[in-house]
Amino acid sequence: MTTTTIGRRQKKPHSSNVRAARLSEVRFIVLLLLPGTALLVGVVLYPLLRSLASAFFAESLLYPGATWVGLQNVIDVLQDGFAELLSQTLIFTIGATIVPFIVGLALALVLNEQFRGQRFLRGAFLIPWLIPGVVVSFLWMWIFDANYGVLNGVLMQLHLIDTPIAWLFNTDTARGALIIAKSWNSFPWVMVMLLAALQTVPGELHEAAAMDGAGPIRRFFAVTWPHIAGVAGLVILLEFIWNFQHFDTIFVLTGGGPAGTTQTFATEVYDTAFKGYDLGHAGALGLLWMGLLLILVVVYVRFSERGEK
Amino acid sequence: MATLTSLAVEAPSTQEHVSERTPTARRAVRRRPRWALWTALIVLGLFAFLPVYWLAVTSVTPERDAFTFPPRLFPSTVTFEHYLAVFQTPAIFEYLRNSIVVSTITAVLSVAVSMYMGYAFSKFRFRGRKSLMYFVLSSQMFPQALLLVTLYVVFAQAGLLNTYQSLVISFTTFTLPLCVWMLKGFFDTLPDDLIEAAKIDGAGPWRTFHSVILPLAAPGLVAAGLFAFVRGWNDFMFALTLAGPEKQTLPPGLVNTYVSEAATAWPELMAASLLVSIPVCAAFILLQRYLVGGITAGAVKG
Amino acid sequence: MTAQLSRRDMFRYSAVGLGGIALAGLATGCAPVAAGGGSATKAPPAGPTNFDFVSWGMSEEATKPALQASVNAFAKKDAIEIATSSYPFNDYLNQLTLQVRGGQFTGAAQLDVAWLSSLAALGKLDDLGAKAEGRGYTDAALQAGQIDGKQFGLPWTIAAIGLVSNTELFDKAGVSQAPATIEEFEDALTAIKGLGGGIVPYAASTKTAQLKDILVWMQTFGSPIIDGEKCTIGDAESIAAVTWYKKLFDAGLIAPDVDRAAARALFSQGKTAIYDDAPVARASVLKASPDASLGGKMAPIARPVKKAGDTPQELLWGHLLVVVDGKGADTAGDFAQWMTSDPAQTISYFTALGLPPTTEEALASSAVSGNVFVDAFTANITKDAKASPLWKYVQYGQMETAIAEQVQAVLIGSASPKDAMKAAGQKVQSLIG
Repeated sequence: MTTTTIGRRQKKPHSSNVRAARLSEVRFIVLLLLPGTALLVGVVLYPLLRSLASAFFAESLLYPGATWVGLQNVIDVLQDGFAELLSQTLIFTIGATIVPFIVGLALALVLNEQFRGQRFLRGAFLIPWLIPGVVVSFLWMWIFDANYGVLNGVLMQLHLIDTPIAWLFNTDTARGALIIAKSWNSFPWVMVMLLAALQTVPGELHEAAAMDGAGPIRRFFAVTWPHIAGVAGLVILLEFIWNFQHFDTIFVLTGGGPAGTTQTFATEVYDTAFKGYDLGHAGALGLLWMGLLLILVVVYVRFSERGEK
Repeated sequence: MATLTSLAVEAPSTQEHVSERTPTARRAVRRRPRWALWTALIVLGLFAFLPVYWLAVTSVTPERDAFTFPPRLFPSTVTFEHYLAVFQTPAIFEYLRNSIVVSTITAVLSVAVSMYMGYAFSKFRFRGRKSLMYFVLSSQMFPQALLLVTLYVVFAQAGLLNTYQSLVISFTTFTLPLCVWMLKGFFDTLPDDLIEAAKIDGAGPWRTFHSVILPLAAPGLVAAGLFAFVRGWNDFMFALTLAGPEKQTLPPGLVNTYVSEAATAWPELMAASLLVSIPVCAAFILLQRYLVGGITAGAVKG
Repeated sequence: MTAQLSRRDMFRYSAVGLGGIALAGLATGCAPVAAGGGSATKAPPAGPTNFDFVSWGMSEEATKPALQASVNAFAKKDAIEIATSSYPFNDYLNQLTLQVRGGQFTGAAQLDVAWLSSLAALGKLDDLGAKAEGRGYTDAALQAGQIDGKQFGLPWTIAAIGLVSNTELFDKAGVSQAPATIEEFEDALTAIKGLGGGIVPYAASTKTAQLKDILVWMQTFGSPIIDGEKCTIGDAESIAAVTWYKKLFDAGLIAPDVDRAAARALFSQGKTAIYDDAPVARASVLKASPDASLGGKMAPIARPVKKAGDTPQELLWGHLLVVVDGKGADTAGDFAQWMTSDPAQTISYFTALGLPPTTEEALASSAVSGNVFVDAFTANITKDAKASPLWKYVQYGQMETAIAEQVQAVLIGSASPKDAMKAAGQKVQSLIG
């Protein structure tokens, strides 16, 4: 970080001049931060606190009023298959974070090479990201369909399978299908971020490493990775957070099935709030969810701060 | 394996082509195993484009053939009736207009808000900076389904339901973390001397930012804006709930039109989706250089 | 997970005087508890006013033209403007609930009969009892719009979700056109399976969205589902029903990954001999079919029964028009009345969309009685149709999901019918409170 000088300079406020200058700088900083902070407080923090407050009340979407019930909702949620819900959420989240990362990284490495059409492909590979997300879910539903889907059609024509497979009706394949569908929609932005990071790797380093006889894999870890690790970390963190609360694909593709084995926090909260009209338990789920993710952020912060030093 | 070999054979010609243009790259390029590159490209290409191909094929399949099993990978009958039908559905173009308006304003506003915030995080040290940064990052974590209920009430109280504003405000907020982070990274790469120099020249902090820093940050701003655009472009739930029927954007609009109580009109849904995605895809293919370039500059950590 | 809540809810809501969650049954005679209702004491406005109308049909390609024409006709008649809007069918109830709850919507709204108690619980629906009088609605149709004796909805179209068969496939397999008992039904399915060619004999729902279809089979096996305030899922009859379903599944007589849409697609392709549906989808099934003569082969049949002579169990299906109290509500009520019972309007609407009307007069008209499909549907299925015993609970959506998940667990083999149904019953019971 090269940016500490200004801050440090401000740490000797003695003469009134300096003081005035500092005041105006504080005002400047406050104004810089104001619009963004206002949005976050109004659109996220305030509704968030209100929703979390529901966790301690018996509160319905249909009836006015709320009754204080303390931690009862949280206890109910914890006792009602919370462990399964958490592991199902983690399976989806981790899968849908790793797969697009690998695909995006591979593509970024490939498209970082010089070849004819490379520039066009960099744009063309963005298409899956730009098809409206809900259409992506429908498209994959159409592909995976057990009874008339193209995937079964192709596999049968290639004689890889004899009878159609019910992809979305078996716990493992349904999870896989969800991860693939979500990954297809999100790998392009991973690719873009990593491609950008790759531009910062000095070519001479690669050549030097190659002279030393390092193979491509060793060169990747020794030369490339250190330059893209920061961006990779941010991408993975954001993907993780987004997938943790991802809703559309699961809702459309499996509806949480079969037998609720692909239900995640996001779909469960939705069911509780909009099918059961039960804001109290939905809020309790939200509270536990926030707790879990905050732990993650704290871990990330510790990790990245150590990185910064 | 046959494909692999033929590709490996093909590779040298490409290499020559490259080396003509960039002689310095020649040595480095030569050492790369080209066949691995092409294999990877083909595998990844199949993953990325087969579904798009299937979307396109479905969009030209007559409705009566859409459910044939096994499906025909190469359609025997091609029809453009679904595209004609889309052109005769004015609502789709209203949805498209709403989507473009909302996504574009979101992109602009998002960049405007996050450039100030990112600048503050990047160039100044103040109490609560770290906490605020993590607050920005973690603001993404809350379950949307729950946020929806309270956000609806908040916007209802503000009288903003069924307006573009409600969507733009929500999407802008949701894109802040990514944009702030990207732009902070970008500003980090600009030397502090620039600010010092501007100060010595007598420029106030605002002028310094607007006329010295911002022009240099243009690629980053474009990149962040493109990301914000996609967020607005893709959203279903909030667009459905907050925008109301009149300001509906494409994702809910498409579902509303083609996924009905009785049946899903697959071919028309695909035709409409493809059609409305074309302008955006074209724009992004043209702008991808800025997308990558913008982040690149930001990715170089001081 | 909500056992505690529901009991407290009961107490709390009764205490506030808004009524319990146990809304009076639609067709059952369970203890009446007051449900919310719109104020009946407002001054009648001078003349027709503008109002809003929300309907999922207003944007769907198939229904929009006919619906828009009806709306325009009423608007012209009274020289008013009707602002229309719509939400996708699957998100419709959520969106409408948020709108009504937030006071953002008043006027006329289309509803599925299954949704009435949830929306009525918000306490903002007008009692349309006065508007229903003397209009010639059938009793069964009127009942579908009632909660607790209050006419919250005017019946727009009423039918049932029943079995629709492909007579050609039945003939080919050499089986009786209308199997009367479950055994005969199973034999028919086995024979049809013998035709080969990847045919799914019975495209029964197996996806979460429509697995609620299993409930009517449980009733066929003799489980009442709800007895008083007690959920009977988990009794021997419901377990037998699910065991039977699983048997059909394992034998390939029903298929995985089937919801209503998939069943319709299979039927349109001649890939299934029988499936569950309401009359609403006939047009789209025919439109998607490569077989131009499929229409003549589509025959609605009564659901087989456990013992010959039992009354078939059929699930009511239909659309209502409700009025959310507030601006324009009065004219919206007139609109709902006109839309659902004006003789010319009901017949032209039926002619355009094939949705069975709800008045004696319209049902007796030549347009309706001359429609072979609808006529057979009414005679074989709708006549026995009953509301689902779960609809009276506002949380019926979550109950259905809970049951569907347990049935799926049986189908994929991760739970025994007995354990799964016990769990489903407990969950439903906890939601009842």
